[in-house]
Amino acid sequence: MGMSRIECIFFSEFHPTLGPKITYQVPEEYISRELFDTVQVYIITKPELQNKLITVTAMGKKLIGCPVCIEHKKYSRNALLFNLGLVCDARTKTCALEPIVKKLSGYLTTLELESGFISNEESKQKLLPIMSTLLEELNATGACTLPIDESNTINLKLIEQRRDPLIVQEYDVPVFTQCKDHFIKSQWDLTTQQILAYIDGFRHIQKISAEADVELNLVRIAVQNLLYYGVVTLVSIFQYSNVYCTTPTVQSLIDDRSIQEECLNYVTKKGQKRACLRDVFQLYCGLTPGTTVRDLCSRYSQQLQRVDERRLIQYGLMKALIRRLQKYPVKVTRDERSRPPRLYTGCHSYDEICCKTGRLRRL
Amino acid sequence: MATKQWETTLGERKSMYKQSENSFFKRGEKTSPISVILVTSGSRGNKLLFRYPFQRVADCTSSLTTKQRSPYALNTTGDVLEDPDGDSREQTPLTDQQLVAGFSDIILATILATKSDMCGKKFELKIDNVRFVGHPTLLQHPHTIQVSKTDPSPKREMPTMILFSVVFALRANADPSVISCMHNLSRRIAIALQHEERRCQYLTREAKLMLAVQDEVTNMTETDGSPQSPFRQILPKCKLARDLKEAYDSLCTTGVVRLHINNWLEVSFCLPHKIHRVGGNHVPPEALERSLKAIRPYHALLLLDSEKALLAQLPLDCSPALVRLIKTCSAVKNLQQLAQDADLNLLQIFQIAAHLVYWGKAIIVYPLCENNVYMLSPHANISLYSPLAEAFGQQFPGHDLPSMLAKFSLPLSLSEFRNPLDASVQEAQLIQMVVWMLQRRLLIQLHTYVCLLVPPSEEEPGLLRDEELPLVARVGGRSLSTPSALSFGSPTSSDDMTLTSPSMDNSSAELLPGGDSPLNRRMTETLLASLTEHERQVILNIPAAQSPEDLRMFARLLHYFRGHHHLEEIMYNENMRRSQLKTLFDKFRSVLVVTNHEDPVISLFQSPLE
Repeated sequence: MGMSRIECIFFSEFHPTLGPKITYQVPEEYISRELFDTVQVYIITKPELQNKLITVTAMGKKLIGCPVCIEHKKYSRNALLFNLGLVCDARTKTCALEPIVKKLSGYLTTLELESGFISNEESKQKLLPIMSTLLEELNATGACTLPIDESNTINLKLIEQRRDPLIVQEYDVPVFTQCKDHFIKSQWDLTTQQILAYIDGFRHIQKISAEADVELNLVRIAVQNLLYYGVVTLVSIFQYSNVYCTTPTVQSLIDDRSIQEECLNYVTKKGQKRACLRDVFQLYCGLTPGTTVRDLCSRYSQQLQRVDERRLIQYGLMKALIRRLQKYPVKVTRDERSRPPRLYTGCHSYDEICCKTGRLRRL
Repeated sequence: MATKQWETTLGERKSMYKQSENSFFKRGEKTSPISVILVTSGSRGNKLLFRYPFQRVADCTSSLTTKQRSPYALNTTGDVLEDPDGDSREQTPLTDQQLVAGFSDIILATILATKSDMCGKKFELKIDNVRFVGHPTLLQHPHTIQVSKTDPSPKREMPTMILFSVVFALRANADPSVISCMHNLSRRIAIALQHEERRCQYLTREAKLMLAVQDEVTNMTETDGSPQSPFRQILPKCKLARDLKEAYDSLCTTGVVRLHINNWLEVSFCLPHKIHRVGGNHVPPEALERSLKAIRPYHALLLLDSEKALLAQLPLDCSPALVRLIKTCSAVKNLQQLAQDADLNLLQIFQIAAHLVYWGKAIIVYPLCENNVYMLSPHANISLYSPLAEAFGQQFPGHDLPSMLAKFSLPLSLSEFRNPLDASVQEAQLIQMVVWMLQRRLLIQLHTYVCLLVPPSEEEPGLLRDEELPLVARVGGRSLSTPSALSFGSPTSSDDMTLTSPSMDNSSAELLPGGDSPLNRRMTETLLASLTEHERQVILNIPAAQSPEDLRMFARLLHYFRGHHHLEEIMYNENMRRSQLKTLFDKFRSVLVVTNHEDPVISLFQSPLE
């Protein structure tokens, strides 16, 4: 499933006479004496490194910990130093585990300050079964809810890290990556709920904003949020005057059975017999620079009998089988007195200019 | 309740929106190091010898005050805010300088100068948002330091160095391939330093100098009271410090590092992430290597600098084969011809070409010829005010780049681009312009790909499920790849690679000429046997199939009709003319689908520089 597997959970502290040691670890004897000697300087650390998430790789293992230091006169040496950490294989991606380690160190600090959980030898022993449960549940389900005593519960969850999404422009068109019916409206915020009905894969952001009566920037943020979770993807505005061309990925329609199935189901007109692969592939290959969608429709009218051309283009863009050719006006010559071009610099496409200035296509 | 939830999520999203704007501009920085640090461990303990960039001492002192603090006090030194959910993702993006400035020299010395059992291996340590990577190296005791036991007079103990480490600090979310590249550089520098230390105690001498300056500055600060950074004073006195600074500066800018340790050993390194970028993202080295392995003999090598400039960059002891190749290569010559002209075998050519491409000194293109069709690259920068436009105007006075690029908005072949009525000087200039644009990766070349797809029969689709499975899925792939021995750094053993023809086993068996002999018929039948009954029927019903030569040619080329081999490749492998192939495609157009797009193998190289 791609979840990082935790090999071991350990609790280490600075013993007043013995120095840094591992008090508990599950499973037992996982961290060798050698390994601990090598990395102990990163586990029980100098004051400057306290409360920082430290991940060290050594001897084929990765240790993630967050050293804590609580100062008080009641402790021998006037301070309590400890660190509850996780051990994984050196090749594991451990970003998702970091918030967990941080949270655990926070929990233990709270427990210690409230009830002396760790400095009390008796209650400290409760750590061992807690650590075992944590290890088991986090590896199994990625989540763990564990009551410590009557008033404290630990809640942990592994959250998948995702890449930052692109900035959404007003001329982008959001389209659902999966069937819209699977979407549970109530789980999302009010803004998203309000614009949901208007996301149909054809309305662009500016249009959604106007029709749903939501401010433009809010719509952009909401759609960016959906983009982050992979619920929608962005395509360009559909017009019959658009020009597209194929990318090398179009061959995947031939090579990959699952993409074929998905495509044919997606582009077939409602109520018609399923379109055949040859027609659909011919249509995509018929998209060349210099051919508008209108031209395609007139040339390939026979193939389009069972295919919805708008959904054809939509699917092609979503899967990167085709790409849109955008036009960029550039003002090359101008006399000395006129101002330098603001929009006609080659950085803004026709789509963008039309959206921003509200003018029609004929510029 | 619901309103409150809406507000908080909105607040988060507003900041996320902002963060992505910031990260959009900071994307380039993910491949640059934040700092370079040199630490040693020896009889005098752990020491930080040098770090760059160095901060002003005023910033240093602030880090000391964070020591005696309760973990609940609000951190105001620009550190990460405590999020109650334990989410360690930064709320306010820190600048790179602040990230590493928070670490004092002493703490860095402690954590980066590792124990000796971590030596000789990759060292990786992540603390909050900073990742340190290095290659700690063990030094042996120099022979000269032997304290004689019989000598009664107290000898002054020479401080000995046990190990050292050149560490790079990166942002924690740097790509794993960037991290391993930095580790590679650290290891290379370590090897050079270890060698020089053994030869003439270079490192010990430099270390002594650095520590002396540090002591001096500390003394001065105590007497004068004016804070100064010791590292600034070290720079003019120590060559090693200057080398490390240069490495850091180069990594942050060009990505190409060339150092001369002790003015003797050369350490060269390139960070492919800076050199190869596609639309703002770097090309992962694995993708780069995959593409390099798929170069074919019909490709050509296009140098990105002039021949003279490139030769000037080479070290004195470089391979003569490399020099020969640079002198003989040209955009109109394919690699096979280049091998013949430079008197090298094809495998060597591949390896040198791959090397030049990896270092960003050349790209792979299809050799320039009349029939090449070019179009604007989707990543091309067409802005009126781009530095490219300016450079173009200087190189070709009287012409401007946007107008020239506009001509390539739709696919244009070279023959259409040129005007035969122009003077030959102007024609030559047009070709130069195309080469200039290719070098700056403004153009991509389109090739024709062909796919066999037979019209389905009229029966129920349910029954046809299997038949719709096109040829590719049924016929096992015949790999038409480059000589298999092309792996980086491996010794060559295939000097018998023939130069005259492509690997013979790639082209289909030569069919005997002579019309409709039974042998030919049987061969055609065998070749068509991989098709289903329905497909065979449809093909044989085409009027052109009645001609045995045409059918034979079709059957012979059947395995190319999977959409993965372009026209020029078929021409090269089968030794056929373009007109022959085009006629064949036309005759069988009812079962073939033709499309044009860029060659995915070399499109990876057609990414613009930043």
